[in-house]
Amino acid sequence: MRVVVCVKEVLDPDAVNNYAVAGRLEIGADGRSLTQSAIPRLMNGYDEQAIEAALRLRDAGAAFTLCVVSAGNDPDKLLKHAAALGAEELVAIQIDPASLDHHAIALLLATQIESSGGADLVLCGRQASDDDQGVVPALIAEQLGLPVITVAREVKLEGTTLRVTRVTPEGDEIVRTPCPAVVTITNELGEPRYPTAAAKVKARRVKPSVVSPADLSLGESDLAPRVILKRQFVPEVQGNCDFLQGEPAAIAAQLIERLRADGTL
Amino acid sequence: MSDPSSRNAVVVCSWGEGREGLPSGAEEVLHIGRGLAAATGSALHWLIVGPLAQRASETAGRYGVTALRQLEDPKLVAGGADARVEALAVYCAHNEPRVLILHQTLEARSVAPRVAGRIDSAVVMNGIAVVSLGSGFEITATAYGGDTRVVYEVGPRPVIGFVANAVVPEPGSGAPVAAESIAVDLSAVKERIEVVERACFDGPRLDDAEIIVSGGRGLGQKDNYKLVEELAAALGGVAGASRPLVDDGWVDSSHQVGLTGRITRPNLYIAIGISGASQHMAGCSAAKTIVAINRDADAAIFQYARYGIVGDALEIVPALIRAAANRG
Repeated sequence: MRVVVCVKEVLDPDAVNNYAVAGRLEIGADGRSLTQSAIPRLMNGYDEQAIEAALRLRDAGAAFTLCVVSAGNDPDKLLKHAAALGAEELVAIQIDPASLDHHAIALLLATQIESSGGADLVLCGRQASDDDQGVVPALIAEQLGLPVITVAREVKLEGTTLRVTRVTPEGDEIVRTPCPAVVTITNELGEPRYPTAAAKVKARRVKPSVVSPADLSLGESDLAPRVILKRQFVPEVQGNCDFLQGEPAAIAAQLIERLRADGTL
Repeated sequence: MSDPSSRNAVVVCSWGEGREGLPSGAEEVLHIGRGLAAATGSALHWLIVGPLAQRASETAGRYGVTALRQLEDPKLVAGGADARVEALAVYCAHNEPRVLILHQTLEARSVAPRVAGRIDSAVVMNGIAVVSLGSGFEITATAYGGDTRVVYEVGPRPVIGFVANAVVPEPGSGAPVAAESIAVDLSAVKERIEVVERACFDGPRLDDAEIIVSGGRGLGQKDNYKLVEELAAALGGVAGASRPLVDDGWVDSSHQVGLTGRITRPNLYIAIGISGASQHMAGCSAAKTIVAINRDADAAIFQYARYGIVGDALEIVPALIRAAANRG
């Protein structure tokens, strides 16, 4: 079996949020990107959990080759992390992600998967924490003609059948489909593991195979964006908070009274 | 399948989900669709995939819908994603609507990009506003968990998902619109995903709640979450939580409010020990009144709150429970 996990590099969303909360998040001169160079770049958290889902399948006894693929300017760091966790195949699709939209990224990933022997299971994070779009997995599935199961908290293999627990607003749902399929992983899967120090050292020597769009026979017209990012801005929050003060009982009485007076209660 | 009048129409697409009645968020997207139809001089069609929602004709009238269409096939009754995607893709390929817009439920989040992939159209999710721009559109969407907004430009015939609390729907008073059904041939579709165990949550839903009391990490420990539940019960509301509590296993994920959880729009939202990360606010910022209780006076949540209490939740919440119970 072959399991492919697609990973993306993002700006640390917690750091972005800290800047936002402090009112210091700024957009660069291009009007599109965040300027703070102090914000670390790291693997999208949901993608890290997608790798974790694959590793848990392996823990449970499934035998497969784990391939981790990333498209970007410099996916080396992410891929070495994946190698330290136990990925045997690493693929770096060398492109400038700013020039591409989600269709193009999905086309690159799907074409790479197809041309390198296909996949019995494609795992992705439910969305990237930068643009939050969450459309690439479904677009990959359409390209490959595969079904897609979203927001999985648990993935199990029963022979060649996937049994997946999905997190829905109505509670957990369990679904089943024969491989191959695309599955997206949600945060409810839980903490991803860290590689051991020894594995990290070993992974330093691993070289990902580097692939260009041309290697995948994809030209400019194939990758022309349908969705173009024009601007990005930081929304303003109107603060008009009345702070209630006093002893807890007095505050509580005050609040309930104000809410009743407003007609809220 | 052919419906020539929908060529270049603004098409709002819904399907019944979960409980009885109209799919939640339908009125919000109809409101957005009505604006787009007026701005582009287009017809407004409401396309319902599968069984017709209750009161669909009346609702259609109130939002200026020019045609109410129902895609009919037994396979759409079961609600499988493969049938929905194929029905919508075939409909769009035949009828070339100007734009297909959906309320972004969990299922719509995967159906929309699959349809777009199949018909080779642009797709944008997390939309909060849209304007027409030549033959295309400019869409404002949330990014970075709500920390930023992005503006995307797309060409003709995109598929757009809107978050439900992006707008406040303003129903008009038009006459009901009769539904016309459109047959669709789905004989070749075989559902590939089999549901082994359905989700069966039958308690009150956060989505529909008028009063929500939510807890976050500021509660300190798991046991203290019962204070949130008790205050919710005292106020006749529903208990929610921020994502860290779900990640830490304090509460079930059905309680999660936020961008990756439930998008809510209550009258009253009481946030206890919640810092106000954008990810969370994306799920509650449309509340009419937000009350924040937090030990940290600089917490971001106070920027959104109407009433703020700086202090220890373990002292304030019990007092609130008593005050709420005292209805005298």
